[in-house]
Amino acid sequence: MKPQTETAARILLWLTVGYIVVLSAAAAAAPLLAPADPLLQNLPARFAPPGSPAYPLGADDFGRDVLSRIIYGARAALLVGLVSVGIALAIGLVIGLTAGLLEGPVDSALMLLMDAVLSFPTVLLAITVVSVFGYGLAQVMAAIGVIFSPLFARIIRAETLTLKHEPYVMSAYALGTPLRRIVAVHLLPNMLPKIVVQCTVAFALAIVIEASLSFLGLGAQPPQPSWGLMLRNARNYLFDAPWLAFYPGLAIGLTVFSFNLLGDLLNELLQIRR
Amino acid sequence: MKKLLLLVLAALTAGSMYAGGASEAAVAQAETLQFALSGNPNTLDPHATEGTLTFQVLKSVYDTLVEPDQDGRIVAALAESWRVSEDNLRWTFRLRDGVVFHNGDALTSADVAASFERLLEPAFGSPHAKELAALHEIRTPDRHTVEFVLDQPYSPLLSALATGWSAILPQRLIDAQHDFAARPVGTGPFRFEQWVRDNRITLTRNEDYWMPQAPQLSRVNFNIITEVAIQVQGLLTGDLDIIDMVGPTDIARIEQDPRTKLDVGLSSLVMVLAINTRREPLSELRIRQAINHAVDKQAILDVAYAGGEVIGTFMDYGDPYYVDFADRYPHHPDRARRLIAEAAPQTRTLDLVLPQNYEPHVRAGEMYQQMLSRVGLDVQIRLVDWSTWLSDVYAAGNFDLTVIGHTGKLDPDSRLSMFETGDNYVGWTHAQAAENIRAARQEADFDQRRELYRDVLELLAVEVPFVFVGTNYRHIAMRENVTGFHMDAKLDTYDLRRVRLR
Repeated sequence: MKPQTETAARILLWLTVGYIVVLSAAAAAAPLLAPADPLLQNLPARFAPPGSPAYPLGADDFGRDVLSRIIYGARAALLVGLVSVGIALAIGLVIGLTAGLLEGPVDSALMLLMDAVLSFPTVLLAITVVSVFGYGLAQVMAAIGVIFSPLFARIIRAETLTLKHEPYVMSAYALGTPLRRIVAVHLLPNMLPKIVVQCTVAFALAIVIEASLSFLGLGAQPPQPSWGLMLRNARNYLFDAPWLAFYPGLAIGLTVFSFNLLGDLLNELLQIRR
Repeated sequence: MKKLLLLVLAALTAGSMYAGGASEAAVAQAETLQFALSGNPNTLDPHATEGTLTFQVLKSVYDTLVEPDQDGRIVAALAESWRVSEDNLRWTFRLRDGVVFHNGDALTSADVAASFERLLEPAFGSPHAKELAALHEIRTPDRHTVEFVLDQPYSPLLSALATGWSAILPQRLIDAQHDFAARPVGTGPFRFEQWVRDNRITLTRNEDYWMPQAPQLSRVNFNIITEVAIQVQGLLTGDLDIIDMVGPTDIARIEQDPRTKLDVGLSSLVMVLAINTRREPLSELRIRQAINHAVDKQAILDVAYAGGEVIGTFMDYGDPYYVDFADRYPHHPDRARRLIAEAAPQTRTLDLVLPQNYEPHVRAGEMYQQMLSRVGLDVQIRLVDWSTWLSDVYAAGNFDLTVIGHTGKLDPDSRLSMFETGDNYVGWTHAQAAENIRAARQEADFDQRRELYRDVLELLAVEVPFVFVGTNYRHIAMRENVTGFHMDAKLDTYDLRRVRLR
């Protein structure tokens, strides 16, 4: 990478990080930042356009404040990202390390299972899981967590297979270092960069899937503020109140773009370090 | 010069060819009605379902002995006349001559008897069998006469025979175990052609239809389109001729567009917030009264249901048996708060179950939740799919509150008989109400029946096992060139026999 491109990449990285920090802060401090209760209906203000005195981004079909719902919606989006990626990472770590360390038939069996999960279209599999276990954010998070676990398991297995043959790991093993310690001190820290990159990408995907499922009515349930649910509601008013679709759409787009970009940039920057 | 001439000739020929093709296409299109249907019917067997979507399609495929006319009066259809014996126990129908089924069989009294025997066969399990429970025997003295012999007088009989599920099927195919659920065969104005599930149902003209000058159309395509926005878009672009879903914000656009028009009428739905009176604290009258005072009915009708008339009891606004109790529990949040403070100041969180596939009910549910929270009742929304709603809520009573619209019935007995025992989803009954419902069923005189039902409706209005919200307006939008369309408000079905595309 040329020095200028690297500088540009760094600036972009900081912009992205800046957006993510602002978004996280907004989600955390939603009750302080949001100008109104996101659930409060005010029927006389139905379809108030953006820029109205009490409604900076307009009001929806029940007269609820769009800005407040976007801010609270960030909570749902980030929560889904965190929890589902956490679940996927936890499952992926157990399966990836087991497969990578044991190899042989256990490895083949576990990887076959992971490939089986991966062979289904993600959203379709998520819809199936949610249809069986019921609608709601908790079910969506669990479903995404399980569906994404192969992404982590495969990376962690591959890294384990490579790292365990490195001389420093072999010598630690020869010295009688307990396996627990080898994993904690030698394996995990060395595969961390790849895991972090995978996390950011999975995070963005999780937000899109949550929005899709909520749009289909399977994820967040009304009147909960969720970007996908806001889009679902907005689709009936595209002609008359386009802002109802525009702002949640923008929020989803920017957030997903930021996390994807973060993943790409981290990937490049971390590879330079190698 | 020669070249130029050739070019002109070529252009002319191409032009005329193109014009010819276009006009042919226009003719074919002019006779095909593109109708947007809001969902996929669960079956096309009229005896096997209560689903409105099924009857919206089958109205064009089957006929009944009698049918409601445009003003709701019951008139002759497959039967050209009928008479009732003195004791109200024997109903004799004279069948119309020259009626032919789509498979070529001539209609006879044997077909009528076979149809009702199929409907009443316990093994068949028709949801409508109970509405003909008073029927003792069907006699066929000759090819064109059918006699219904009853155990006891049953005034709703004629209404039952006029409803879509009393369709007459050909006996030969009933005996042959024909798959009516997938391939209906009737005497109706259109023949069934094809059903591509979740996509479309196509019908073609029945050239031998018994009604003079009907039908006018050569084909009908029922396009299954579940999204309002897509239906409206299809209408505006001209891909669809009639659509059966119009959102509140689309009304102005359709009215202003010179190419489209709107058919507005009162539906026959009773929109309710149902209250499970078996459960604490909802078994307490004052809590149900408080819930009624908390709800702004007009706002619910305007925002969730695109407008309507407020009601106060379990009968739709336009029904001849309707009684006005709308002022019994006006919107009064303070009174609601007082009643709650008196009756049950510390109530648990209430479970509000909404049928996810009916967006207006979901929207109404969001409004109820807000209105109830304003008077201090904590309500949690739970969305379920339609089959879960039917089995878990409507059949098993597993809910505190739920939102639904009760469809219209030709006879009040069909609406109110559910309260004869407490075995209904809200768990409400009343000795006096049950007695009046039984008496009205055997009473033939309209005024007498109206008195009996009035008391039942008043008991419902006072004890409020529901919030009776109102009867909504039904909007059907169509292209300007569509004429002759009629919708039966009571049965929620579409009569396409007189429809023309000008």
